[in-house]
Amino acid sequence: MNYFDLTYAFLFLPIVIIIYNIMPKKIRPAILLLASFLFFFMISKFLIIFLLLSIVSIYMGARKMGSLDKKKNELLEVASKEDKKEIKDAYRKKKKSILILVILFNITFLFVFKYLKFFTVNANFLLDCMKVGWRFQILKLIAPIGISFYTLQALSYVIDVYNEKIEADKNFLRVALFLSFFPQIMEGPIARYSETAKSLYERVRVNYHNLCFGYQRILYGFFKKFVIADRLNVVVGKVFENYTCYSGAAIACAIIAYTIMLYMEFSGTMDVVIGTGEIFNVKLPENFRQPFFAKNISEFWTRWHISLGAWFKDYIFYPVSLSKPMKKLTIKARKTLGNHFGPLISGAVALFAVWFLNGLWHGAGWTFLFYGLYQFTLILGGNLLEPFIKTVCIKLKINRQNLVYRILQSVKMTMFVFIGELFFRAPTLAVGFGMLKRLFTKFQLSAITNGELFSLGMDKKDVLIVFLALVFIFIISLLREKKINIRESISKKNVFIRWFIYYAFILAIIIFGAYGPGYIPVDPIYADF
Amino acid sequence: MKNFLKSILFLIILAVLVEGISFLFIPGNNIKKYGLYKVSAYDILAEDTDTIDVIAVGDSLIYSSLSPMVIWNQLGYTVFDCAEPAQIIPDTLDYLKVAIESQHPKIILMEANVLFRDPSKKKTETIITKRIKNRIPIIKYHDNWKKYISYGSKKNWINYYKGYKFITKVKPSKPKKYMSGSKKSREIPKGNIEYFEQILELCKENNTKLVLVSFPTQLTWSSKKHNAIQQLSEKYELEFVDLNLVDLGINWETDTKDSGGHLNYLGAKKVSEYIGTYLQNTNLLQDHRDEKKYASWHKAYQMYLKKYQKTLNKN
Repeated sequence: MNYFDLTYAFLFLPIVIIIYNIMPKKIRPAILLLASFLFFFMISKFLIIFLLLSIVSIYMGARKMGSLDKKKNELLEVASKEDKKEIKDAYRKKKKSILILVILFNITFLFVFKYLKFFTVNANFLLDCMKVGWRFQILKLIAPIGISFYTLQALSYVIDVYNEKIEADKNFLRVALFLSFFPQIMEGPIARYSETAKSLYERVRVNYHNLCFGYQRILYGFFKKFVIADRLNVVVGKVFENYTCYSGAAIACAIIAYTIMLYMEFSGTMDVVIGTGEIFNVKLPENFRQPFFAKNISEFWTRWHISLGAWFKDYIFYPVSLSKPMKKLTIKARKTLGNHFGPLISGAVALFAVWFLNGLWHGAGWTFLFYGLYQFTLILGGNLLEPFIKTVCIKLKINRQNLVYRILQSVKMTMFVFIGELFFRAPTLAVGFGMLKRLFTKFQLSAITNGELFSLGMDKKDVLIVFLALVFIFIISLLREKKINIRESISKKNVFIRWFIYYAFILAIIIFGAYGPGYIPVDPIYADF
Repeated sequence: MKNFLKSILFLIILAVLVEGISFLFIPGNNIKKYGLYKVSAYDILAEDTDTIDVIAVGDSLIYSSLSPMVIWNQLGYTVFDCAEPAQIIPDTLDYLKVAIESQHPKIILMEANVLFRDPSKKKTETIITKRIKNRIPIIKYHDNWKKYISYGSKKNWINYYKGYKFITKVKPSKPKKYMSGSKKSREIPKGNIEYFEQILELCKENNTKLVLVSFPTQLTWSSKKHNAIQQLSEKYELEFVDLNLVDLGINWETDTKDSGGHLNYLGAKKVSEYIGTYLQNTNLLQDHRDEKKYASWHKAYQMYLKKYQKTLNKN
């Protein structure tokens, strides 16, 4: 089962809602937890054991750190000024060893399931190059679905407890629910304990308003997935699997189609996830904020997969850039390179760590590592060039707030995103570069007139539907960018207009959805990461 | 309570709208006679009554391997593929029951691999989704909005490939000895035999010849399966054509779409030509190519031919 199965939205979810609502308030969180375990069991079977181990490890680790904090505070109350530092250091060390243990415990599962094969294959390649006679055995393991998501969420909890941002929760059920809440277990968003744990345990009955708003959001996700993403999938699959048969124009279309498909599939999934949360009065963090309205790649990453970016910022970027060696480096660099370029050195080191890990997080493969380093280069390049561009604009009297300039910025940023997504989707780096080369060397405008573009799996009617659907999404995005709450606005209309809109929307999904013979639905892309 | 009633009303109106709008999307020819429910699941019901000579029923091996248009062009026989991915035998029976209501085929080709698929192992959601599709015709026929634009009327909405899926993709495999020659037999789930007997009974009632066929596949067929079906066919005195043991000239480097799992259009042409000759040798069928009633089949063949030549030129 995935979030776009009809059985999820119209069978599993309604059953959970009904049972949740008829049960006494006290046991409602337990119902959500049971539903979450059942959901996880249905998608990962007995690999649920690894989720349970993660839950137990972070619960126990956090509790231990909590009790150490308590003891430390008791000692500090009666300690002399001289002893206080010593006590703090001693307890910090103890807590650190627990934190490292819990992190290693969780990271090991992630490594074994996700990265062991990649490293073994590459180690074997090196052994071959060195003409060593033996090789490592390659293990074929199936990873629990969503392991990359829930592991990061688990780590955020123990790190926050270690940093005393939150208190260790004594309630095992709440910690378990925080980590395994069924709407977000497959593809996030990677929520923080402080964001969701409280509302997950509020036990509020599902009410009419939440039910309506939740299902509206779910349907919006269905629209993105079924009408747009699934329709583009045929084109993407065809060209990426056999790119040498196609012209540069067809490759360009496939790259654009893939980027749109990825956005629609992943943000559509988030609509279903967040909509489900809304039904249970749980406010899950947003993962997308109109990313293609960004003016540069840095800003793009504050609008695309926000929860992952925020995780890397809080748990990798800041700890690295604010570490003692980096601080020393910044001070030295400031003296020699000045106030703009000086701090950029330590920032670049931290940024490299972030994007190296970000690439690796998306998958164990050279294409993902390249993708991460590509983003790193673009962001660092943007930071380095900023003073130069600023000076040029002043000299040429170009107003950077001008609408035309802003649009051009967004177009440039979108081009960079397209190239990044090309490598993100390409099966190997060689294919990625091959496609890029063909894009420029075999680009023929005749592809539009000779029918090649319409032989990729989408006829003119499909293209029209995708275009109209994207215009619709664009308008919604524009309104959201202007902080207009569309669902609230619609809910204030009279019942005839309101219901007409709902029925039209539902029928549009049913009629124009790309499902059935001739279409290939997109598999949940991010669930594989 | 007010909100509850409002929700119920909303859903009732939605159901009425969905049911109502279905009429605009389902194929036009047989609705009154056979009802919405049945039409929704079967393309064959859009064919004119009593025009199909042979129904091929089974899983994806049917619609990827057997092209009715090749047989039509070769011999003038009308074949229709009633197939769906990973079909289970209870559905095979259902398909046949409905198809036989409007057609009186002389021969039924049943894909043998279906007999080994345990219905209880088929994912629950797939079964549920399928039931929803069967119950709500628009889910099955939603894409017909394109035909509205093309034809303006729903009278001419027919499946031009007659159930066959024209697969252009090539993912090569190598020649493999997947028919090991083992003497052992693969077990057929008990429940499946009961369904098989019902299919047999249905064929007898309608005076239709049932033939078991296994289509070429390197991935899902084996000597053990062959032996099991051979024994079954002997027990029930049926003909069994195992195309995995026949030299059809399949080139596994060019004729498969997924490394030996299924055939593409090139492989399907070879299989269809062989099946055509087999059907001819039964002496049960007659050539319809000169009959006015079958004019639309010529049009359908032209569409197939155009697609075939276009794909061939491209590759």
